[in-house]
Amino acid sequence: MTGPLSPALRKGLAYGWLSTRRRAGQLVLPVVTTATGAFLLVQVLTLTDSVRRQSAALGDTEQLVRATTLIAVVVLLVGVVEMAVSTTRTVVHRTREIGVLGATGVPRGPVVGALLVEPLVAAVAGAAAGGVVAVVGTGAANLAGLVSADVRPGPALAALALAVGTSAVAALVTSAGPAYRAASRPPALSLTSGG
Amino acid sequence: MATVLDHPAPTAASVVDASGGTRGGGSRLLRFALANVRRRPERFVLSTAGIALAVMAVIVVRTIAAGYATVGSDSLSEVLGSDPVWVVGAEGVRFDPDLDVLLPNGSTPALTVPEGWTAHRQAVGVWAAPGGDVALVGRDDVAPGAAVVSPAAADLLGVAPGARLRVGAADLTVATGGTGTSVTVPVDVARTVVGDRGWWTVTPSAADTGRRDLGALLSRASGIPSTTDASRTPSGRPLAYDTVGGGTSLATFQQAYSAIFASKVTSSTLGLVSVVGLVLGFVIAVSSFLAAVQERRREFGIMSSIGLADEVLYFFLVESALVFVAAYAAGALAALAATTLVVPDVTTLAGWAQAAGIVAAYLPAMAIVGALVPVHRLLQQRPVDLLRDDA
Repeated sequence: MTGPLSPALRKGLAYGWLSTRRRAGQLVLPVVTTATGAFLLVQVLTLTDSVRRQSAALGDTEQLVRATTLIAVVVLLVGVVEMAVSTTRTVVHRTREIGVLGATGVPRGPVVGALLVEPLVAAVAGAAAGGVVAVVGTGAANLAGLVSADVRPGPALAALALAVGTSAVAALVTSAGPAYRAASRPPALSLTSGG
Repeated sequence: MATVLDHPAPTAASVVDASGGTRGGGSRLLRFALANVRRRPERFVLSTAGIALAVMAVIVVRTIAAGYATVGSDSLSEVLGSDPVWVVGAEGVRFDPDLDVLLPNGSTPALTVPEGWTAHRQAVGVWAAPGGDVALVGRDDVAPGAAVVSPAAADLLGVAPGARLRVGAADLTVATGGTGTSVTVPVDVARTVVGDRGWWTVTPSAADTGRRDLGALLSRASGIPSTTDASRTPSGRPLAYDTVGGGTSLATFQQAYSAIFASKVTSSTLGLVSVVGLVLGFVIAVSSFLAAVQERRREFGIMSSIGLADEVLYFFLVESALVFVAAYAAGALAALAATTLVVPDVTTLAGWAQAAGIVAAYLPAMAIVGALVPVHRLLQQRPVDLLRDDA
């Protein structure tokens, strides 16, 4: 987002942050699935040399290394989709709450912003946790002599950044639809429905 | 529920019809499932997308594995021709991924064959040709003065059919054929370049053809151990592979040999990552159905309280089938696109179809379990608990 945030949006984001902390327990599953995807992606990217050796034994090295990276990214996206499924659950749970916000005059933007804080925080936390475990785990396995991987800080950080960035963008893109739909419903409808 | 007002779902009466087996029961179940999909379109799209990505990951890996299985199978066919027995030296053989051919690791073993059998010596090795390395194969069924050049080798050497090719001291006429990057020449010509390296293929006598103990017969005459197990490698002594014995096995020797190539892919990092992807896809399916159950507790409470508990299961099975069928179709097509773009050299339509078939075999089980888990949780509770307002 460019430019300074409007006060209403800032409040929306702060509200989203508070509710994310309150609902941390609900986020365990999406965080774990995202962390698993990020773990695999970062591991594949930090173990490129060994993936390359494995691919060379089969032939078509470059194509197989590309395929391995593609599959790792796809698995990360599968993990992030769980985050978006969780957002659809969240908006149903919080239907009345969203209705109250709408009824008290909070515009749609801050409500959408508040609803997107949860998937964003969970995606970043999950991807960072999975990525850090992958880097530390690979480094430790390397020191223990279990794998012969040259874990360099530069590529490891780049892999971590890629995992976190991809997760954050994918979580926002996939959660935006459900959040927008929930924030666009007439407050009267939200207030009279369940949840 | 307000959302129901937006998209009215079929009524309980139609449910009774569906369960009562009246005409159109199946289509009513499908309509009910579609109505529920319309109530939460984003969840349907998301869970379908998640499972589709997982399906895509597995099909991509299986397509690559099938590609390598074909390579393994072709390279073995090229070696064996129609002979049923293959005798390799103590150092064994290896597959060269750059030349796409099998190569011996050492010299051709000494071989004595039973009375009436014929042993065909093949001299095989790498020839440092002017245009680059090619596999040079010497066979006794190549006409004197001929060189059979594979299309890849013809490109590398810059020769066309009818052209002259100098191999060692021999001047040969080019014909095209064969797999990988190989040039097949008469065996004596090849031996001047690759020396002793090679192996034997053996044709049994007319009387012994069709027997399933050819390996054992050859072992008796030659003292070389034999095996029908494609995965066995020589251990310090030459080894004879009997490709028609081992009659109890369902897979032929050739299938078993190509499976070794495929398993190198499925057991690699690529294979392991894709399996985790599939597990995550299943988690998404279950989690999305659990969410759907939670939101429709009251609806199912009403159905349970009028004795329609079993129908709840049918609804979820149909919904689950919808999600999995849509995800499978999208995932399979995405996998075809991804393999064609990323690994064009090993992708074949047949390999993709085979991979898609394998995945299709275990999706129904995933769809059924994915629907059963949430419904089981639901049916554990009494209808009155499901109907409570604070539920």
